[in-house]
Amino acid sequence: MAEHATAQETLFALREQIARLEGKPLPALAAAEQADLAADPEGQKARNNQPRLPFGIPPMDTALEGGLPLDGITEIRSLLMGDAGAASGFALSLASHLKARQPGDAPVLWIGDVVSTQEAGIPYSVGLKQFGLSQRDVLYASPRKLDDALWLAETAVASGAVVATILEIRGNPRHFGLTESRRLGLRAKAAGRPLFLLRHAGEEEASSASFRFLVEPAPAARRHLPEGSELGGSIGHPVFRLTLEKSRIPAPLSLLLEWNPHDRQFSLGREAGEAFSFRNPPAHPGARLPASADRQDRAPALGTVVAFERAS
Amino acid sequence: MRLTALDEVSERLGLKRGQGLAEARAMFPKIDVVDEDGAADQGLLEAIADWCDRYTPLVALDGREGLFLDITGCTHLFGGEEALLKDILGRLLQMGFDVKGAISSSPGLSWAACRFGRGGVIADQVTEAVLAPLPVNALRIDEATIAALYKLGLKRIGDLLPMPRAPLARRFGIHLLLRLDQALGHNEEVISPRRPVAALSAERRLAEPIQAEEHILQLAGQIAISLKSELEARGVGGRVFELVLFRVDGRVFRIAAGASQPLQDPKRISLLFSERLNAVHDDLDAGFGFELLRLNVLQYDVFRISQGDFTGNGDSEISLADFVDRVSARLGADCLQIAEPKQSHVPERAEVFVPAIASRIVREKTEEIFTFAPKSDRPLRLFRHPELMEAFAATVPDGPPQRFRWRRIVHEVIRAEGPERISPEWWNDEEDVEERDYFRLESEAGRRFWIFRAGHYVAGKTAPTWRVHGIFA
Repeated sequence: MAEHATAQETLFALREQIARLEGKPLPALAAAEQADLAADPEGQKARNNQPRLPFGIPPMDTALEGGLPLDGITEIRSLLMGDAGAASGFALSLASHLKARQPGDAPVLWIGDVVSTQEAGIPYSVGLKQFGLSQRDVLYASPRKLDDALWLAETAVASGAVVATILEIRGNPRHFGLTESRRLGLRAKAAGRPLFLLRHAGEEEASSASFRFLVEPAPAARRHLPEGSELGGSIGHPVFRLTLEKSRIPAPLSLLLEWNPHDRQFSLGREAGEAFSFRNPPAHPGARLPASADRQDRAPALGTVVAFERAS
Repeated sequence: MRLTALDEVSERLGLKRGQGLAEARAMFPKIDVVDEDGAADQGLLEAIADWCDRYTPLVALDGREGLFLDITGCTHLFGGEEALLKDILGRLLQMGFDVKGAISSSPGLSWAACRFGRGGVIADQVTEAVLAPLPVNALRIDEATIAALYKLGLKRIGDLLPMPRAPLARRFGIHLLLRLDQALGHNEEVISPRRPVAALSAERRLAEPIQAEEHILQLAGQIAISLKSELEARGVGGRVFELVLFRVDGRVFRIAAGASQPLQDPKRISLLFSERLNAVHDDLDAGFGFELLRLNVLQYDVFRISQGDFTGNGDSEISLADFVDRVSARLGADCLQIAEPKQSHVPERAEVFVPAIASRIVREKTEEIFTFAPKSDRPLRLFRHPELMEAFAATVPDGPPQRFRWRRIVHEVIRAEGPERISPEWWNDEEDVEERDYFRLESEAGRRFWIFRAGHYVAGKTAPTWRVHGIFA
């Protein structure tokens, strides 16, 4: 009986290893593991081999299976270039959140895109300091070509010299496809360092990123007064409207996330009601189809669909 | 138009430099005339000077057609002065240059012996004997003095030597005597080398030229090993290295690579060049191969030996420096930057980007540098040049706008904070720079902007301009 259990465990371990290599969980395995968990603390240990960065927010951590993976690519996407503030804010807050929880003084590498820098400005060190990243925490790179940027990202991730790498790109460049993203993903996995891919004004695209967030701006939280009340009309901590577009859970998760730069900590945005005020109706009223979770959607039809009257 | 240079055949025909072109054509209608290209001549002379670096680091240009080489202490490497001169002249002749050379104890004598004498190696004892039969033109003096000397019948240097010095100086100026003394070696003359002499350098001569990049790198690593002991003896590490590659046909390539920390380790030095070679890949034409490699240390710094601990935590610092070096070697030092704080309350002057390789933040883990820390919020991304926008319905005199148009999009302002007044720096700025009132705005979409109004609303004057200076998260 004991022999049988050992063999079973070996089998599970091997299956898990294969699943990790492929980056996919096996549902049966996950269920079996849940069952094993109570009896076998070793399983827990095996699970923890994959480094994760928990947000400290239960729904988020559940959706991310314990937190943001620190050995892979996480994509952060915005719909419009005008949302660059929110998108780069979320990427930098992730870096700051991670930096606060890791020992050592390795910096964060920001690989900027030339056009995005012209469109949305350069990261401002004084503002970053207030955001939770001090001057020496950030290295800025401004490669001229995308090839250089990719080489730089690969080198940075592989060297293990930086805590996190933020690669900023604009749109969906042709030279950055699945092959390149897979290459970066493998490097990240080997070195155990995260790569945040910050895609401004980009479409959804197949990549080796394990999670993809869509970031949209949201009204900021109010400032807190010392006695505990809030100051009406003030602009306090930034809030991001996040949609977890790509993950292993079937339905996309959407929530408001508030970043507290002083504690370098995320919290759930509370004023969810204010987001859709009468001045700002939702862009897509009515039921929205869930975004495809595991793979790419089929290509949408060209042009807009207009309700013509029937000819006959 | 005049003739500025002649080849062997035309010299034999009796043409002279400085002769009029029409006159020369009248004498020999068939001569070929090519326009003078001063820049190309200069380039060729510099290329030859580069090539001469193999003999001594001290090579100086002399006008448009000569080179001075300071070979003090170098001759024994080539088997003596005779052999050295023979080697230089022989190799240059093979490349197709007709060159005359002389070795003597003073630049002036060598100059004279090359142009007016037979050249060769001139021993100290025969200086006057060699100099005496040469014309006074060999003294590097101006035309007027030469003409005056000729008029007096002083045609050879030998005529000047026994003359009393005081009358000569009175009549022809002190310059003539200075030149005479320089030629005789009584007066020290320094040549000014083209390049600074490397602090340290090591080289490797090859019997068989190499072409492949990996061979170059391997050899660079070997040369770095021979440099290491010298670096250790001085207690320094190199900050800027230069690899000089001498190609078989005389072309010289110089590849410089910088490091963020002083380096001694041959492996890391050779790694520096591996990235650099990748970057210059297309420009480095190996041709028939390189026959001489030299590694120079152009800049060095005190090398601090740090002992690693058992846990191996010290590695991260090295890997960061390594990473910075690799990137800077490949993409240029300006690619990777770090923001250093500046003492200024004007937002765009509060930081300055410096290359990470030169930054003291990366190099030395100094304590936090004191800076002006603003009490109010600063944006996450700042525009290098504040962008003009149109503000509508701004509260006069000092309120935020209700609505604004920026990049052709109208933003409805929901919330606003401000104003925060930032005055120009009177010690830096012109008098007409306006003070700015900054506001934080949040649009209905939830985007947050940092805008300012330059100047004030004054009755009877044009309205002040509004600009967007940054965006918040």
